[in-house]
Amino acid sequence: MNAYGLLAVFDTPADAMHAAEKVRDAGYSKWDVHTPFPVHGMDAAMGLSNSKVGWFTFLGGVTGYTSGMIMIWWMNAYDYKIIIGGKPMFSPFFSFPVSYELTILLASFGSLIGMFLLNRLPRLHHPLLKNRKFSTGASHDKFILVIETADPKFNDQETRKLLSSAGSKHIELVED
Amino acid sequence: MTLHAFQLLIGLRRGVSAVVIALFAAVLLGNSAIAAEQAKTAAKTEQAVDAHHGHTHGPAGHPTELKKFGYAYLTAYMFCLSLCLGALFIVILNHLFDAQWMVPIRRFLEHIACQLFPTMFILWLPIGLLAKEIYPWFTIDPDHDHALHAKAILFNPTAFYVVSGLLFVVWGFIAHGLRRASLAQDKDGAAVHTRTMRKYAAVGIFAFAFSLTGAAIYWMKSLQHQFFSTMYGVVYFAGSVWVTAITTYWLLLYFKNRGDLKDVAREVTFHDCGKLFFAFTVFYAYIHFSQYFLIWNAAVPEETFWYVTREKGSWWWVGQITIFGHFWFPFLFLLPIHRKINFQIMSMMAGWAWFCHYLDLQFNIGPVLHPDGLHFGIYDVLSLVGILSVLIFMFSRAFNAHPPYPQRDPRVAETFGVYVEPVSSKPAH
Repeated sequence: MNAYGLLAVFDTPADAMHAAEKVRDAGYSKWDVHTPFPVHGMDAAMGLSNSKVGWFTFLGGVTGYTSGMIMIWWMNAYDYKIIIGGKPMFSPFFSFPVSYELTILLASFGSLIGMFLLNRLPRLHHPLLKNRKFSTGASHDKFILVIETADPKFNDQETRKLLSSAGSKHIELVED
Repeated sequence: MTLHAFQLLIGLRRGVSAVVIALFAAVLLGNSAIAAEQAKTAAKTEQAVDAHHGHTHGPAGHPTELKKFGYAYLTAYMFCLSLCLGALFIVILNHLFDAQWMVPIRRFLEHIACQLFPTMFILWLPIGLLAKEIYPWFTIDPDHDHALHAKAILFNPTAFYVVSGLLFVVWGFIAHGLRRASLAQDKDGAAVHTRTMRKYAAVGIFAFAFSLTGAAIYWMKSLQHQFFSTMYGVVYFAGSVWVTAITTYWLLLYFKNRGDLKDVAREVTFHDCGKLFFAFTVFYAYIHFSQYFLIWNAAVPEETFWYVTREKGSWWWVGQITIFGHFWFPFLFLLPIHRKINFQIMSMMAGWAWFCHYLDLQFNIGPVLHPDGLHFGIYDVLSLVGILSVLIFMFSRAFNAHPPYPQRDPRVAETFGVYVEPVSSKPAH
């Protein structure tokens, strides 16, 4: 039997937050907290740095803006020149709305794709999903902290001790 | 207060502020040199134009000292009005969205909003008195000017004074109504005051939208009464809230350092304030671009002349500062989170925003009097310093007389970062 990790159940967001602070300070790296709703301040309690999704968004936005501008220049002022309303062949003013829309479109694509890439989604299965405590609690009224066995600091006894000292009443080993 | 503010602005960033001041001085010097050069050639052509057409789109020839003062005063006044109206808007916003993060900033914004009446009304009187000097349409006979004739129902002295007075009544009613309830809640902590403030906010947001548009049209846009733009009020609104958001950030920092708000001004409050500023950076660009874009695309002479005037002389450069300094620089610079919560960067940004917003108002008002380029003289300095000192004096008096933040607001515990479980949810466990 392969163990995936140690699962600890907490009853309130505050308990889970304090436990996360303890786990963070103990120096664990492969662990996560699962809550039914976003808990403000959890990223800081977990010691997570700012998400990198923003870079994907930015890159998408820049790509959208430049491709919009180049596309309009190429179509109106280079490939098939045509005068409309006495306006110049190319001007950043009339090409702005379309480039702007493309900026938003590709930036949102960037966010979505970046989110999926960084989350490593979609995936067909996760060991936690067949755990009864997890599947009934994490999306309902329990706050669940999981430390993976793959963590270099993981030690069955020590980790268990840490989690129970953090105030968890239910700790169990999750099978892979 | 002033010494502390000075230390905060200069003490931390002596080198950077020196560079900024040097750049500003260089720009002004260079600008006056260019303007003087252009004034020589412009004077000749203007004489020729005058001889042919009778009158141009602005007061031609050499402006009198009274006129110069009137324009300088109007620019400074509109700048300070931006701060007061922006403050009123953010207070209204607080109640409309039942926002928790705005509780620490609400009290001092209430005080700023209350400057609208009577302080700003008294400060408006010089504009009312000098209206004949400032607004060209006051002295034009509507029967000889088609544009004025068509708009005569709005642009006649009676309407001007009646509407102007009405605007202050509306602002005073909303701002004082909101502050009265807020201060009353400090004493008894009753929830009924929150409901009263919500009612003021719900009605107030509409009154605010119409009255701000009225102020922008009557006091600023009517300088060139031929001009049409339905977005004009919104542009002024967007710039106002933009500059108020960063001023709020700075005041929050100032009062935190002074100790008044040190318990409630947390990092998240600053971050949210920075986000509000960032949002309005984009919103202002969006609105002003829309105005420019529609006018550019339609190419109707009644509208385009407004921007054509503002592309001449050093006004062109002022326009560039609006594009790159008002939008692109803050937008790209403040994209990362860590800069929005960096106090040094954001204090500098406050100074920069004041500079950009002032130039934006110069861009709106100045070209009517000085078509050749930006003029920044002693009257501008005196008006700005004068009005600001009155406002700062009145504001500090009000701020020091009352608790620094709403003491018994229903959401004040959340502001401290404390979670208070609602009474109704307790039996469930």
